[in-house]
Amino acid sequence: MTRDSYLFIGFLLLFAAVNAALLATGAIAADWTGFGVILAAGLTLSLYSFLYKDNPLYKFVEHLFVGVAAAYVLGLVWYNTLLAEIVNSLILGEGKDRWSLLMPSLLGALMLTRLVPRIAWLSRIAFAFVVGLGAGLTIPRYISSFILAQMEPSLRPITWSIEGLNLVIILVGVVAVMVYFFFSVEHTGVVGGVSKVGIWFLMISFGASFGYTVMARLSLLIGRTQFLLDDWLHVMK
Amino acid sequence: MKALDIDRRIIFIFVFLGVAIPLMVDFTLPIKPTPPVIAAYDAFEKVAAEKPGSTILLSFSYGASTAPEMQPMARAVLRHCFRLGFKVVAICLWPDGVGLAESVLAEVAEEMGKKEDVDYAFLGYKPGTIAVILNMGQDLHTAFPVDSKGVSLAQLPVTKNIHPLTDFSFVFDFAAGDSIEFWWIPYGQEKYRFPFAGGCTAVMAPDLFPFLQSGQMLGMLGGLAGAAEYETLIGHPGQATEGMRPQSVTHLIIIAFIILGNGMYFLSRRSSGQATG
Repeated sequence: MTRDSYLFIGFLLLFAAVNAALLATGAIAADWTGFGVILAAGLTLSLYSFLYKDNPLYKFVEHLFVGVAAAYVLGLVWYNTLLAEIVNSLILGEGKDRWSLLMPSLLGALMLTRLVPRIAWLSRIAFAFVVGLGAGLTIPRYISSFILAQMEPSLRPITWSIEGLNLVIILVGVVAVMVYFFFSVEHTGVVGGVSKVGIWFLMISFGASFGYTVMARLSLLIGRTQFLLDDWLHVMK
Repeated sequence: MKALDIDRRIIFIFVFLGVAIPLMVDFTLPIKPTPPVIAAYDAFEKVAAEKPGSTILLSFSYGASTAPEMQPMARAVLRHCFRLGFKVVAICLWPDGVGLAESVLAEVAEEMGKKEDVDYAFLGYKPGTIAVILNMGQDLHTAFPVDSKGVSLAQLPVTKNIHPLTDFSFVFDFAAGDSIEFWWIPYGQEKYRFPFAGGCTAVMAPDLFPFLQSGQMLGMLGGLAGAAEYETLIGHPGQATEGMRPQSVTHLIIIAFIILGNGMYFLSRRSSGQATG
């Protein structure tokens, strides 16, 4: 047996011993809720075992997670949407305005024809509708929200205050970053200098994003560790 | 220069200890609310003063994978909303947010003595993202004919007089993905011009600062830190405040490793330069 095999067996024995002690002392109730806590703790530790090395236990739990997540969403979509709105409303005739569901249901069914190569061309009807509707809805909204509404703060009058300083920094940053991304002119001389300022702004923003990302990932680790230490092991005060 | 080849599992152990030990040892770190979180808090207070007892909309657009960040945030905001006397209508635009939304609503409502259907209503999940928002913009009863228990919205005291989105005095989205940036702002706030704020995971927060500056969002809670700041503002420390102790310690550990790594790198460059020079 390899060292990893001994580690694996040792982990299982330790996990079993800890749970036996927790059940014996009454820290975890010997009911379905307690079983759920033990199962969740085992699955959590199995996933974290990847940090040591990729292993079959991690792979099994990873696939289990994907399967359960997909099944959960399928169950929700079936009961909330397909059963409630199409089967019960359109087919069984419950609720008013049932015929307004006919065309959307037909378009949705046409999308599924992509699975059959001989009639896959029918799905283009549904996709054309989706693309056309999407473009018509999206373009004016995005221009309004992401371009016009974002330009307005850059165009406010500059004052001798912290707000004014913020505006100057934002203005310099916006112009410098846009110059950096303008590749039709060679980045030399004045253009090169301004684009270097733009690079600094980009790097500072990427650094801020990275810092936030680290905080986000740590928050998830903290959540899981809280579960392991409090709900499972009961060692937190 | 062996430090440059440090086994990453040693770093993992330090990070784990940096998380686990502060959770088990009780100490207090000051939490200073930042302007975006204060702005969100003030926005709720202002709406409560101008329209007491009005109805607000909370949208739960997150799942179990981001629950450690978002659930404490949702609890804090809900406590504040119920304390201010708002009626709350909750929806889900993410399918796996339904269970989480239901549990946090039930927990906080019981704690604050609020009754379902009278003080709050949960309408469940509806697929369609932007189509749902556009539909609600015209009539909430068309987008959600019944609540999560199958009761018609026309029969619920909380929702019977709410029709277009503008009937809500405030809309707040808990976002783990791009629901604020690509759904609520372009198709909701920008189109119907209702007061809007949001809470998001820390990963999303940098992307949403431009919307704070433009006034499209009145305030923002970013990640677990944002949730902890909001708990401080409402005077009810909870899970987020508890999570800031390991957060701070582990950040210091990571900074120490970054400084160590960069120091070793520059030393190795100097020593290799001396060797060749």
